[in-house]
Amino acid sequence: MHTVDTHHDEGKGQYFWVWGALLVLTAAEVGLAYNQVFQPVQMLEALMILSVIKSALIIGWFMHLKYEIAAMKWVMMTAVTICLCLMCVFFADAFRIVHLGVK
Amino acid sequence: MVAQDAHAHAGPQGFIRKYVFSLDHKVIGLQYYFLALAAVFVGMFLSLLMRIHMIWPTAILPLVGEIRPETYLQLLTMHGTIMVFFVLTTAPQSGFGNYFLPIQIGAPDMAFPVLNMLSFWTTFVAFVVMLAAFFAVGGAPLHGWTGYAPLSALTNSGPGEQLGADLWITSIAIFCIASLMGALNFITTVLDLRAKGMTMMRMPLTCWAWLITAILGLLAFGVLLSAGILLLLDRNLGTSFYVPLVVVNGQVMGHKGGSPLLWQHLFWFFGHPEVYIAILPGMGVASQLLSTFARKPIFGYKAMVYAIMAIGILGFVVWGHHMFMSGMSPYSAFAFSIMTMAIGVPSAIKTFNWLGTLYKAKIRFQTPMLYAIGFVSLFVSGGLSGPFLAQPVLDIPLHDTAFVVGHFHLIMGVAAIFGMFAGTYYWFPKMFGRMMNESLGRIHFVFTLIGTYCIFMPMHYLGMAGQPRRYSQFTEVAYLQHLMPLNRFITYAAFVTIAAQVIFVINLFWSMFKGPKASDNPWESTTLEWTTATPPPHDNFAGHTPVVYHGPYEYSVPGAAKDYVMQTDPAGVTAH
Amino acid sequence: MSDMAVPHGMAGEFEPSLFGAYSKKIGMWLFLLSDTLTFGALLFAYSYGRISNPDWPTPFHKESIINATIMTGCLLSSSLTMVLGVLAARRGDRSWTRNWILFTMFFGVAFIVLHGMEWTKLIAEGMTPSKNPWSSTVQQFGGTFFTLTGMHMMHVTIGVIYLGVVALRKKFLPILLICWLAAWLGTPADSVFHVGAHVILIGAIVAAMIMFLKPKDYDAHDVEIAGLYWHFVDLVWMFIFPLVYLMSTRITG
Repeated sequence: MHTVDTHHDEGKGQYFWVWGALLVLTAAEVGLAYNQVFQPVQMLEALMILSVIKSALIIGWFMHLKYEIAAMKWVMMTAVTICLCLMCVFFADAFRIVHLGVK
Repeated sequence: MVAQDAHAHAGPQGFIRKYVFSLDHKVIGLQYYFLALAAVFVGMFLSLLMRIHMIWPTAILPLVGEIRPETYLQLLTMHGTIMVFFVLTTAPQSGFGNYFLPIQIGAPDMAFPVLNMLSFWTTFVAFVVMLAAFFAVGGAPLHGWTGYAPLSALTNSGPGEQLGADLWITSIAIFCIASLMGALNFITTVLDLRAKGMTMMRMPLTCWAWLITAILGLLAFGVLLSAGILLLLDRNLGTSFYVPLVVVNGQVMGHKGGSPLLWQHLFWFFGHPEVYIAILPGMGVASQLLSTFARKPIFGYKAMVYAIMAIGILGFVVWGHHMFMSGMSPYSAFAFSIMTMAIGVPSAIKTFNWLGTLYKAKIRFQTPMLYAIGFVSLFVSGGLSGPFLAQPVLDIPLHDTAFVVGHFHLIMGVAAIFGMFAGTYYWFPKMFGRMMNESLGRIHFVFTLIGTYCIFMPMHYLGMAGQPRRYSQFTEVAYLQHLMPLNRFITYAAFVTIAAQVIFVINLFWSMFKGPKASDNPWESTTLEWTTATPPPHDNFAGHTPVVYHGPYEYSVPGAAKDYVMQTDPAGVTAH
Repeated sequence: MSDMAVPHGMAGEFEPSLFGAYSKKIGMWLFLLSDTLTFGALLFAYSYGRISNPDWPTPFHKESIINATIMTGCLLSSSLTMVLGVLAARRGDRSWTRNWILFTMFFGVAFIVLHGMEWTKLIAEGMTPSKNPWSSTVQQFGGTFFTLTGMHMMHVTIGVIYLGVVALRKKFLPILLICWLAAWLGTPADSVFHVGAHVILIGAIVAAMIMFLKPKDYDAHDVEIAGLYWHFVDLVWMFIFPLVYLMSTRITG
């Protein structure tokens, strides 16, 4: 097996910072939800934005995607993001069930 | 910085390690191929029974007995499932792809040989589970290969919807896992194990097709896996993902609040890319063969690559065109219609490039080439009915009629099978070291091509005349009476076409043992598999890795000594 | 995954990898990509059901939310210890690699135990896949909850076993078997752990097959891809937690 490549300089410290940020964001999520700061739809948006930030931290630092080459970053993240966004088309029909009153 | 895992090792000894649990991608490729061959005969037999039932609904058949209406539904379900999953997905991608992708890019094996073996044996288990559905209490399921809920989600909705349907969906889920393992292996192999000089834009179009197919599989099968898990839960744990409040046979079912549309969305999110999983490898093989036997470089190599990519991407955003009649939001239907029409553009690019390759060429009409041309013909004939079905307005009368059956059999079913036949005749010398019989091959081609058109072309007319799909026993229906002669004609054509496949099987197995010995490069082709011995040694290139100097289709190069320049020929004239 | 990788100097005979990474890492990333879509489809199915059933119950009390928050904290901390383990493996520090992975497994097990207790409590309250005590009109609540969290818990369990194999190799098998017996015999028959224990047995059998058929010493690469899988499990929870728990919070309680 080849020697593991360690050319990028990464200190331990940054992982503790990321961990701290993740805990703070989680606390913020719980606080927002438990105090019902927003109406349900805005709450969902707020929670999803925070979750996307958290996942970006996890993917970028913990999973080291930050240190991979551009091709890998872009191809993988674009593919999965597009596929997930596409599924939002489903919701048009979920809303229709409500509006048309089909049970 | 890059560490490729290499596989320079001696071949395994002993029958089990060499032929059964082999790690050699070539053996695994052949295992897939023969699995698909077994599956295609099961599927074909089922289709024959259906055709017989359509014109003689009360016939008592030897071995099979009477075909009742529910038996007919079971036949069509199993025919569709076996053909789509275990033939069209298995042979072109996993079979030929496994055998030739590593050789064509100059790799000693796939990136993960153990995963490759697991992937085959998982597929095998899936196939056994699928066949077991025939023998379950109540028989095979009757919900069609699309498994629409709530029919598929309720265990008391029909005779085959008990254990049979559970086995069916379990088999599909196992198949998903197998395909995921295969797909990530293919992608990693292409990304990491290309020989020196084999840049992405020097890969044969077959490799491009296998790569894009693998990406489609990777992204699509995971969704089907989820859909299948939810269906199993609905069936066995009483959840209500797909089932609204329903009454079956006067009995109120315990489900509430689910939506059958959710299953259709999840299923077709996988299902439409699946169509391209079936056809893209065939496109790759056709491109390779047209160029080789026309002795011309493929017309517009880069356009072909981008067209494959475009088809792959667009293939993901058109699934809704299967659902125009489902009560889907009309706004989504509009968007899906537009995207579906757009997919005609890359398809047309490919077709015109194939024709451009053939234009003014000195074509060698050998059997593989006949099938490649047959592929293009079927692709065009089947493709032309696509834009009709892509429009919601036209889809309303045509949906679930024989028109649809004719359309997808031509473009996805038989076209992909022509790709497999082309691949078989073309690569047989490399796989088995012997040549297939040319005369038998031509006879097989003529019968198959004409037979195919005789079967599926009239179906378009049947559909427009209103003959529904998936209905049994319409011999007594008044408005369909005048269509019966055409139905009889289709059944007779099916008899002849299926009988003609015996010629292929005889040719295949006879040539395997008795055919004339093949040289290393019988077709004077340029890609890497023709530079190695026949059949290839265990690590493909006998201990060294080839170095690539040219693109894959350097035919009739001005100034070259021969009319083709091997990809590994350092002295050849560089065209670009 | 790749067997019999004979050390060799062939890297120069190949084109550089398009993604600039070794094969196993690309393979794991691709697997995670497809697994993202598997989970994505489940989450979309859940959201679909939730949109089309407007009276979705919101039963999670303070204690449920606190419990789930602690679980989230466990997973996040396990990700930190995992990444420290990967760093130790890169340095070639074998004992600290093992220690950090053991910490990670500890947090993972804590997550599973807390979650199992939560399940047991909900089942005792009358929640099943087909019904729930809070709403008779929205049957989907129980089904979606158990499907999503169950699928995730299965991934966590696989992850813990995977990490155990990487850290302890064959020494991990007896530990797994003891855990299986303890969880199976030591819990009442109506507990989630009583049934769930058999997952450990299946995991032990599979792990044993892998380790005996292909004995190898797991190196820094193996630790790194095990870490990728573990972080992914953490990542999925970052969406399940707000969607399943936080959006179903009950205030008055």
